[in-house]
Amino acid sequence: MEGQSRFIIAVVIALIIGIVIGYGVGFATIGPSVTTKTVIQTTTVTKYVTQTSPATVVTTLTVPTTVVRAPMTLVVIGPWAGAEMEAFMEVLKAFEREHPNIKLEYRIYRAEDLASVAPPQFAAKMAPGDVIFTAWGWWVKKMGERGHLYDLSKLVNTGEFIKGIFDSVKSGDKIYGLPFTAWAKPGFWYRKSLFQKYGLEPPMTWDDFLKLLDKLKGELGGPPIVTGDGVGWPISDVTEHFLITFGGPELQLKLIKGEVKFADPQVREIFEKYIVPLLKKSYFSEPIEWTRALELWWQGKYALYFMGTWLTGMVKNPEDLGFFPLPGCKGVVMGTDYIIVPKYTKHPKEALLLAKWLATEGQRVHAGTKAGKFATWLKVGIEDHWKPMQEVFKKLKDKMPLPDLDDSVGGDWQKLFWDQLKLLWVDPGKLDQVLNTLTTNFPKK
Amino acid sequence: MKMGEPLLNKISFLIPGFILIVIFVVYPIVATIILSFNINPVPGIDVTGGKAPGLENYYKVLSSPKFINPYGLKTLSFPMGAIIHNIIWIAIHLPLTIILGLLIAVLLQNVKGGSIIRSFIFLGMVIPMIVGGLLIQFSFDKDLGVVNLFLKIIGLGWLAKSWTIYPDTALLSLILGSVWLWTGFSVTMYSAGLASIPKEIIEAAIVDGADFKTILFKIIVPLLKPVTLTVMAMTILWDLKIFDIVYVSTQGGPGGASMVLALLMYDYFARVQHYPMAATVAAILTVITLPVVIFWIKMVTKGESK
Repeated sequence: MEGQSRFIIAVVIALIIGIVIGYGVGFATIGPSVTTKTVIQTTTVTKYVTQTSPATVVTTLTVPTTVVRAPMTLVVIGPWAGAEMEAFMEVLKAFEREHPNIKLEYRIYRAEDLASVAPPQFAAKMAPGDVIFTAWGWWVKKMGERGHLYDLSKLVNTGEFIKGIFDSVKSGDKIYGLPFTAWAKPGFWYRKSLFQKYGLEPPMTWDDFLKLLDKLKGELGGPPIVTGDGVGWPISDVTEHFLITFGGPELQLKLIKGEVKFADPQVREIFEKYIVPLLKKSYFSEPIEWTRALELWWQGKYALYFMGTWLTGMVKNPEDLGFFPLPGCKGVVMGTDYIIVPKYTKHPKEALLLAKWLATEGQRVHAGTKAGKFATWLKVGIEDHWKPMQEVFKKLKDKMPLPDLDDSVGGDWQKLFWDQLKLLWVDPGKLDQVLNTLTTNFPKK
Repeated sequence: MKMGEPLLNKISFLIPGFILIVIFVVYPIVATIILSFNINPVPGIDVTGGKAPGLENYYKVLSSPKFINPYGLKTLSFPMGAIIHNIIWIAIHLPLTIILGLLIAVLLQNVKGGSIIRSFIFLGMVIPMIVGGLLIQFSFDKDLGVVNLFLKIIGLGWLAKSWTIYPDTALLSLILGSVWLWTGFSVTMYSAGLASIPKEIIEAAIVDGADFKTILFKIIVPLLKPVTLTVMAMTILWDLKIFDIVYVSTQGGPGGASMVLALLMYDYFARVQHYPMAATVAAILTVITLPVVIFWIKMVTKGESK
């Protein structure tokens, strides 16, 4: 028996030594990872078009417009479900009609899920999809700088898009994401029929707004504004609207850059004077999951809902919709979903072709659907948009488009921002704690 | 027959399993611990961001208010930090699980249809924890929740609110929800333990004039000690690695009021993408769970040797 034990111990020791040696050999022979420059290949396609950007692009790049190959499938990842997905599927179908050899398979990943799932896959040189949509410009830039994404700067003419739309996905002269259609977060939505029922008008001054809230609270017997919730972005949207209204568009830009802190007296005053009193008077509901909040608001339990323009495509009767920004608001938060192409796609030519199409002609198709979005490609006219969005556009054309605060800062702070605002919403007395937390945790440059 | 042959046979059976355990269990654990010291565990793949090896991550994690929040502890207000939240979770969840599990098992022992009721109680264990988290969120919802409905029925309507969204009640509501999800386990364990107690002992006690209380505390509870120790160990381990229901229902909020260690680890991994920090939290979690595991293994092996 003693001999057997010794034998087993010897085998185990030999295995451990083998693993250690193998590990050491591996360590010694595998060199550090090498960053390679990937060039967009254009040699195996049948037709080319030469484009030169008039603005910043100095080199010329040939991009494929048609790829003739055996039928193949591209995986497209986007955040849309339900009505939003239906609208997006019309875009994909339009592409398939134009390119019968390319089939598209759509998969749903929320931005927060994608940000969790994709980086480890990228690190393993794999991609969850061939063409991916995400609203988080900061994340696109980060992944691009790590070498996981194609540089798309020469794929489109950047001068043909809304000014500043590439800023958050730009690193040096490289652009890692192409803009798709944009949403706006224009103000408080209401049902025209409900306002008619109570004889109400959109407010023209802050005092009007307070009177409106007071009257609605009396009529409804509860909070007039429903607070959307989810991971937290709806509360940050309404907060940003207050900051832009009372601090001006420049405050939003300074907050994004970190030039103004949340503990700054100007920011504190906006919270203390405008947001906290409304919370303390229970004009806002408790945070409710945003799609359920939408149902409750549409049913008339609440009268006002701060939400993005995609809401137009989610209600039964868009003609009954009206919205108003806070009186005096000069800016509107706009954002887009960026199209990215991972370097690890197995079909780079087709994926790049699709990315280019989506950023241009695909926008024309999408803007015409019930998606509730605006085109960021300037060649799409206002007449190409879905009719309710044409009305929204008319009301917003004088407002200054601004980037979303938390989507621009991103990272761990984004979640912290959502979480702290949720805390403020249920406990307005914690304003100091919230502002200090947001200030001390703001990412350092 | 040669002496070496049966031994070689045994080893040949052991080796495949041993290799799999080394690759899929031992190596990831070792790699995680290595990574927590800012050392790349896979040669050629840099996940440390080129930082120097050392204890920096441990210092950062242990001094972070997300881990322990001195202000919260001082004022006894949430957030108190992930580790404290886990301890609170154990402090409330463990006794409730044991007491409820034992009582329900004893009460259902001789009840007609007891097995059906036990099946319903066990449902909490078989549903995915993600669904469990959503159910907890809905259960404590102001308008839809069964908890608030119950409060209104018994005249405590003034307490009705969406419990999971307030910092002072978020953690408590999750803990209470987890009691519902986990009690099925302790009920099942205690039911099995009760079935193994010889009826003669109970009957003899009844003949001697012992009442229910005496039988429960002087006979049943001592005889079920091994089961109780197993339930304790498993419950503590479950509480320490709790993640799904928190992630789904509160995301650790509001204001970090329901943050737990496993979610903190996930946040470092998935959101901040700071893999060494995530590995550090994982290593700390391992160190905390290790005594419980050792105690449980000792207890099981002791029981087997007896």
